[in-house]
Amino acid sequence: MKYLGTPASEGIAIGKVFRYFPYIPVIDPTPVSDEAVEAEGQRYRAAFEQVHGRIETIIEKRAGTEQAEIFQAHLDILEDDTLSDEILEAIAANMNAAQAVDLVYTQYAEVLAAVQDELIAQRAADMMDLRLQLLCALEGKEGADLSQISEPVILVTHDLMPSDTGALDPDMILGIVTEIGGITSHSAIIARSHGIPALFDVENACEKLADGEIVILDARDGILQTEPTAEQFVAYTEKKQQLDQQREEERTYLDVAATTREGDRVSVLLNIGSADEDLDFASHVDGVGLFRTEFLYMGREDLPDEEEQYRLYKKVFEAFAPNPVTLRTLDIGGDKEVRALDLPKEENPFLGNRALRLCFEREEMFLTQLRAVLRASVHGNLKLMFPMVSGLEDLRRAKDLLEKAKEQLRQKGETWNPDLRVGTMIEIPALAVMADLLVKEVDFASIGTNDLTQYTLAVDRVNPAVSHYYQNFNPAVIRLLNYAVTTFRSAGKDISVCGEMGGDRIASVALLGMGIRSLSMGRSSVAAIKKIVCTLDMEQARRSVESACGFATAAEVKSTFQALL
Amino acid sequence: MYTKEVTIRNATGLHARPASEFINCAKKFQSTLKIRRKEGPAAKSDNAKSMITLLTLALACGEVVEIVGDGADEAEAVDALVALIEGGFGEL
Repeated sequence: MKYLGTPASEGIAIGKVFRYFPYIPVIDPTPVSDEAVEAEGQRYRAAFEQVHGRIETIIEKRAGTEQAEIFQAHLDILEDDTLSDEILEAIAANMNAAQAVDLVYTQYAEVLAAVQDELIAQRAADMMDLRLQLLCALEGKEGADLSQISEPVILVTHDLMPSDTGALDPDMILGIVTEIGGITSHSAIIARSHGIPALFDVENACEKLADGEIVILDARDGILQTEPTAEQFVAYTEKKQQLDQQREEERTYLDVAATTREGDRVSVLLNIGSADEDLDFASHVDGVGLFRTEFLYMGREDLPDEEEQYRLYKKVFEAFAPNPVTLRTLDIGGDKEVRALDLPKEENPFLGNRALRLCFEREEMFLTQLRAVLRASVHGNLKLMFPMVSGLEDLRRAKDLLEKAKEQLRQKGETWNPDLRVGTMIEIPALAVMADLLVKEVDFASIGTNDLTQYTLAVDRVNPAVSHYYQNFNPAVIRLLNYAVTTFRSAGKDISVCGEMGGDRIASVALLGMGIRSLSMGRSSVAAIKKIVCTLDMEQARRSVESACGFATAAEVKSTFQALL
Repeated sequence: MYTKEVTIRNATGLHARPASEFINCAKKFQSTLKIRRKEGPAAKSDNAKSMITLLTLALACGEVVEIVGDGADEAEAVDALVALIEGGFGEL
C-alpha cells in the first residue's frame, strides 16, 4: 500500500516500524480533604523535581544544540513562580494535584496561544508539553520516553512533543511519521536539524502500520510505502544512497555567491511568511524574493494598525539590509480566513474577490498597509509588489493608491525611500500574455508559478481528484513563462520566480535557461539551487528551453531538463 | 513599599527577549516585585519575576505600567527595572 503525507524534513528512510503511543492522562476530579492538602502539595513538588531533573539531564546531554535551547525554555517555564504559586493555591482550595496542574497550565497556554507574536504563541505548545510531563510524573508513569529504542527504526506516532524528540537518540531514528503536526512545529525543526526524514499528516498511520514491518518513507515525494516489492526496495536503497551523497555535496554550496559558469551572478532569495523565522538565515541569501504579509491579518479579531505593521516591516528590512526585500501586499480572501473582515463564503474562491481585488474594495485597509510599508522603506532596500494583478488597469489603480498613501504621509510630514521599486506578481495568465505592455509600467515582476500553473491549466491545486492535471512542466506553462521572462529580459527589467518552481531543482534548470537570474525559495532549497547555478551548462539549458517549447507533453519537458542535472 | 510608573518605549514591547531580560534583572533582587498595567483590565498575576506573567500581560509600546517593590532592596530593584524599560532594551 501507498500512503500520502506532507514532507516535513527531506530524505528517504527504509526500515522497521516502531509505533509509539504516548501516555494520555485521565484526570480524576476527586477533591482532596483538608487534612490531605499538605501531602498533595508535596506530591506536586515531587513531580516538579522529577520533571526538572529530567530536563536538566537532557540539556546536559545535548549541550550546544538547538534542542538544548528548546529545553532551556521549558526549564524557564517550569521554574516560573506564578505557575507553582497558582497550582499550590488551587491545591490549598482542595483541588487534587493533577487537576491543579491541568487547570493552571491549560489556562496560561490558552492565553499565550492568543498573543499576536509567534514566538510567544509557540510557548503555549511548550506549556502543554510540560503539563503532560507533570501529569505523567504525578501518576508515576514514565510517559514520554523513547530512550528504550535499541535498534534503528522508523518512528510512527500520532504527534510528537518536544520532550519526546529530546529523549530519543537521533542515531536510532531512521525516519518519523506522524498523523498530524505542522511542518513548522518543534518536531519538524528537530527532525530537520538532525537530518531525519519526516512525513507528517499521514492519516491513521498508527492503525494502518504494524510494529516491525518494513516500510519505505520517501519524504521528498510525500509517500509512505508499505509491503515494498523487491524492486522497490532496491530502487529506493539506491535512491537513498544517491540522495545522501547529493545532500553532502550541496551543503558545501550554502555560502557561495551563486554565479553561473558564464560569469552571471544569480540572486538566490528567500520566501518568508513572518517577521521572526528565517531572519537568522539572511547571511546565506541575496535578500527576500517574497515577503508574504498575510500572517499579520490572520488568526485575530482585528486588523493590524499602521504602527504595528511599520514595526514588523522595519524589523525585516533591517535584518536583510542592504539586500532587497520584496514585500507582497496583502494576498488574502477566498480560501484564507480573516476574521476581522468577515468575508462571505464564495463558490469559487480562487477566482473570486481576493488579494488586490479585495484591497481595492477595502481601500482604508490597503492604504494603512501602504503607509506602513512606505514608512518602513527608509530602513532597508524595499521592492513593493502587488499580487493578483489581472491587467494594466489593476496595476494603474494600485499605483494611484500608492500615490495617495504617499500624499497622506506627506501631509503628516513622514518620509519614505524615494528609490523604492514597484512591481507585480505575474500569476494570472492574462498578465503574462500582456508582458510587453506591463514591462513599460513596472520596475520588476515576479512570477508566482503555483497560481500561474493552476490558472493556466484550469486546475484546482488543492483538489486531489484533479491533482494530476497540475503540471509545472506542462508545455503551455513553459511557453507562457518563457514569453514573460524573455520580454522582461530584453527590456532590461528584473524578473524573478518565487513560486515552488523557484526552489525546485529541475524547474530551476528551465528557468535559468529562459534567462531568469533571480530565484526565490524556502531555506531548505538554497544550497541545492546554488549548486545548480554554479554547475549548470547554460548553453544546453537554453537549447532545452527551445526544444521544450515545441514539446507536446509535460513528461517530455520534464525529462529534458532533468537530463541536465 | 516603593512604587514607580514607567512607559514602555521599545517598539516590540515587553515580548520575548526584552521580557527575559526584565525577568533576569528582577530575579537579582530579594524584594517582592510586582508589575501592573496602569490602564485596562487587571491581570490575574502580577509577579514581576515571572516570565509567564510578563508574556501574558503582553505589554506593548506606549503602555504605562506600575512597578511595585516590597522588601529590603525595594527601591534599588524598582529603579533598576524602570531604568531597563526606559533604556528600551537596546531597541531605541
